[in-house]
Amino acid sequence: MGGALSVLGAGAPLALQLAVSGAASAADAADYKALVCVFLVGGNDGHNTVLATDADSWRRYFSARSGGTDSLALMPVGTPILPKGATSTITGRKATATNPEGWGGVLEIVPRVDQPIPDGTDATNRTFALHPFLGPLKTLFDSGRLAVVANIGPLVQPITKVQYLTRAVPVPLGLTSHNDQQSTWQSGGPEGTRIGWGGAMADRLYGSNGANTVFTAISPTGTALFLAGRDVGQYVVKTGALPANVVVATQQGTLFGSKVGSAGLTDIIQGTTSTSSFSDDYAAVVARSMQAAGAVNGAISQGAATLIPAPGNYVNPITGAQQINPLAVQLQTVARLVASAPQMGLRRQVFFVSLPGFDTHSTQNAAHADLMGQLAQALAYFDTALSNVGGSDLRGSVTTFTASDFGRSFTTNGDGTDHGWGSHHFVMGGAVRGGNIYGQYPTLGIDDTGFSNPDMVGTALIPTTSVDQYGATLGAWFGVSSTDLASIFPNLGNFNSANLGFV
Amino acid sequence: MKRLVAGAILVSLAAAPLLVKSVDLKGWIGIHAESVQQATPFEAARFLTQATFGPTDDSIADVQSLGYEAWIDQQEAIPVSATHLAYLDARLAQLKLTNANAHLNTVDVYNSFWKQSVTAPDQLRQRVKLALSEIFVISLNHAGMDPRGVGSYYDMLGDNAFVNYRTLLEKITLHPMMGTYLNSLGSQKTKSANSPHPDQNYGREIQQLMSIGLYQLNIDGALKLDDNNQPIPTYTASDIDGLANVFTGYSWYSPAPSKSTFFGLGLGPDVTIKPMIVYSDYHSSLAKTFLGTTIPASDTPDAAGDLKIALDTIFNHPNVGPFLGRQLIQRLVTSNPSPAYVARVAAVFNDNGSGIRGDLGAVVKAILLDPEARDPANTSSPTFGKLREPIVRVANWMRAFNAISPSDWWRVGDTSDTVSLGQSVLNAPSVFNFWRPGYSPPRTAVGNLNLRAPEFEIVDEVSVSGYVNTMKRFVGNAFSDVQSVYANEIPLASDAGSLVNRIDILLFYGQMPADLRTKIVNLVNSVPIPAQTAGPDKIKAALTNRVELAIYLAISSPDYLTQR
Repeated sequence: MGGALSVLGAGAPLALQLAVSGAASAADAADYKALVCVFLVGGNDGHNTVLATDADSWRRYFSARSGGTDSLALMPVGTPILPKGATSTITGRKATATNPEGWGGVLEIVPRVDQPIPDGTDATNRTFALHPFLGPLKTLFDSGRLAVVANIGPLVQPITKVQYLTRAVPVPLGLTSHNDQQSTWQSGGPEGTRIGWGGAMADRLYGSNGANTVFTAISPTGTALFLAGRDVGQYVVKTGALPANVVVATQQGTLFGSKVGSAGLTDIIQGTTSTSSFSDDYAAVVARSMQAAGAVNGAISQGAATLIPAPGNYVNPITGAQQINPLAVQLQTVARLVASAPQMGLRRQVFFVSLPGFDTHSTQNAAHADLMGQLAQALAYFDTALSNVGGSDLRGSVTTFTASDFGRSFTTNGDGTDHGWGSHHFVMGGAVRGGNIYGQYPTLGIDDTGFSNPDMVGTALIPTTSVDQYGATLGAWFGVSSTDLASIFPNLGNFNSANLGFV
Repeated sequence: MKRLVAGAILVSLAAAPLLVKSVDLKGWIGIHAESVQQATPFEAARFLTQATFGPTDDSIADVQSLGYEAWIDQQEAIPVSATHLAYLDARLAQLKLTNANAHLNTVDVYNSFWKQSVTAPDQLRQRVKLALSEIFVISLNHAGMDPRGVGSYYDMLGDNAFVNYRTLLEKITLHPMMGTYLNSLGSQKTKSANSPHPDQNYGREIQQLMSIGLYQLNIDGALKLDDNNQPIPTYTASDIDGLANVFTGYSWYSPAPSKSTFFGLGLGPDVTIKPMIVYSDYHSSLAKTFLGTTIPASDTPDAAGDLKIALDTIFNHPNVGPFLGRQLIQRLVTSNPSPAYVARVAAVFNDNGSGIRGDLGAVVKAILLDPEARDPANTSSPTFGKLREPIVRVANWMRAFNAISPSDWWRVGDTSDTVSLGQSVLNAPSVFNFWRPGYSPPRTAVGNLNLRAPEFEIVDEVSVSGYVNTMKRFVGNAFSDVQSVYANEIPLASDAGSLVNRIDILLFYGQMPADLRTKIVNLVNSVPIPAQTAGPDKIKAALTNRVELAIYLAISSPDYLTQR
């Protein structure tokens, strides 16, 4: 079984389909586009990422997030950064490096189009802000290259609070379960699903990638369901100078005293001689790893890819310490791969990067603030890197978006937050119609006497925009046909719009 | 209790051995009845591949002479001899000889794992301990983990590997490292309507990951379905709320508990290894409803009483047998057990034969003696078995070839990076472990059959080459503190066939495919052995090369990587 396999091409069937179907997706032979999924692993606290600052929203937010051993409520727009030890006139608490009183107020952003006023709030004009450490994202928002998409989450179809509570409408399996919601965000199905929507889009477009199809869907952060298609496979690289990890012993003249040992090893590890499907599947990964390494390591070592700057030092806003920003490091590898795409004849690529640590049940203040700082620095770095790729501005060719397990509870558990459902996300790129908030920013507040929030069940936001709509909007920009989008997102037709217009 | 029960079974079988035809009992009969064949060395090695960190000459002989079941009984009865805590304390004392400010690090836990996993006589306990650590997960990647605390957690899993699941669940729940990892430590009651809610993390994950899972199961592990063919959730948000209230008011051990010690101030040196204690002032006295049980509101908080009711309720949920049994089968034997196999193991969880629920020693025995685990025909099944996990492969090499540590500290270091092994013990990325039990790898033959292959979640283009590169360092003795002199292999190395036969037993339980064997034999023969006139050093170097080449090729082969 097995043996040496040809792995660089994903096979012809779909390419043939493309040739005969006028309605099918196709990449313009001359252009280049990439989608980059930034996965915030653990469930980002959207409530402390993008905030509504009008009086009604802020009052309910501030109340729900205050108290406990370490209040999570951020300070209002315009609050100065207090010196450590100074007492906040807002909370009466002394400012420290690790509490919001020490960080200054949230950063106002002004959408170019007014957000509609949702039911349940008495606000007459809604205003918004970002976490104090998202300054670089405010700059991108103001520059029109970053958009916010509000209250997204996995949905089967639109759902109201009453429908949720009476189970009148189906909802995705495994809500609030990390693994199932990571899977559902990436693929539409729970743990065990095998095709992600990034890979499914790539399935429709890899025909324009020529001989190097293997580099269509790339992750510098391990296996990623998002990238797995039916024909297109995820290809995993490492960060650092060379993306492909080479099997050293296959490149040595002598292996344990044998002049033919390296050739023997090369043969043995790429194939099987038994009957195990597990072994065959493993051998296929080894074969792909070995056969693709030379091309990607060669391409990235020349031309524009070598000119991509390294991300600058990241300074932890809490400790002041210089740290490695793992997300920026991954995005550097992505930028270098984007720069080497012409060399490899690639027209369409999907990438997956990730930042762990968002499951902030405890000690959220310090942890989340650091993560916000890392996210902002990494995205701003990526924007800058793409603005000059060998003299070309590729920002319009690369669209970057965030995703995460789920949002988090509106209320605090004392020093952290628990699992939620809907959350707010960012989309960045030169093609993005930025400076706006898309979707419906929800009414905030826990049900109380005389107040029932139509957008929240328990402490979780009920999404008003589905991941399918989010993905389909990105897919339409990427060049996927509406027919194919309807196939990739089978529930898309349940929603009133298949294109949210943010890109 | 357990040993008395086992004794009772033996007595009853001894009274009527001829009536017993079950395959399960083959090993036991093997000791007593000459007519039943002893396990072959290959069969014994295969059994040990499932039950230990890898077969050795001695363990193969033991299994052959005792039979499977008596070997398991003997293993389960071996008292815990060494602890990770003792290793870590000794290590710290040694480090302090040269640096008074020295402290332990995560690698000390990893190194302790290698030492004990490879050298401890209670191999079954060691192997089950690793399996339990991949179900009841804490991780050194969490900033709040103390190496001593994590060592003691791993010790606790081993101590309780063959006792009752109810006992294990309580010890896990009260361990301060679990309390830290999943935030039950220091969780407080809700003081008033608008004050913070209790932390929900442990209340959720004890259900989803450690006991019952998301959906109601039949005893064979299959999902129960509702009228719309949908899975039926085992719990809802309100069950999590109820359990979150139960897990309030626990914090660090102190001989003189106070508000300060609840919040982690003024603690003694052993708080990371001593069970959490109750701080009644912070425990909720509200009514708590979960999984069909309600603890009524009370005037005085009763944290211990609430905990007992909660753990009893979870323990008695019908999902536990199939949920836990299936995962333990996946850890030890096969990624895709048949429903009947799961049902047999779950039945033993539900009743060990003496009316006792949750006997983990009996569950482990049932898993390893099951006809599906023992059926030799499965060694040629395309879909039976599992991908060996990276750290178990390395332990297999260490044990098979009698590796020793010159310092006796087993300083392998950190193998977590994907260019290394992509795995270190007790260092999973999250409480969801290194991989999910339901992971089905995209674009694979296994996946296309809708089968599970959990360990494939960490198989990628980087990690597969990382493994081959790292094994070259192990096999070639490039790790200075873990070495094999290949004392039993070098004498065979002038005859490539004999050398590969030995590797076949120790790494492939005699199932090395013929084509692979031929390839390796030919490659071994490509290493020339110099004439006697070259001198003993050069001859020994050549023979060592032959051994290392053969082992390296074998252990790097995809055929080896599946255990079946």
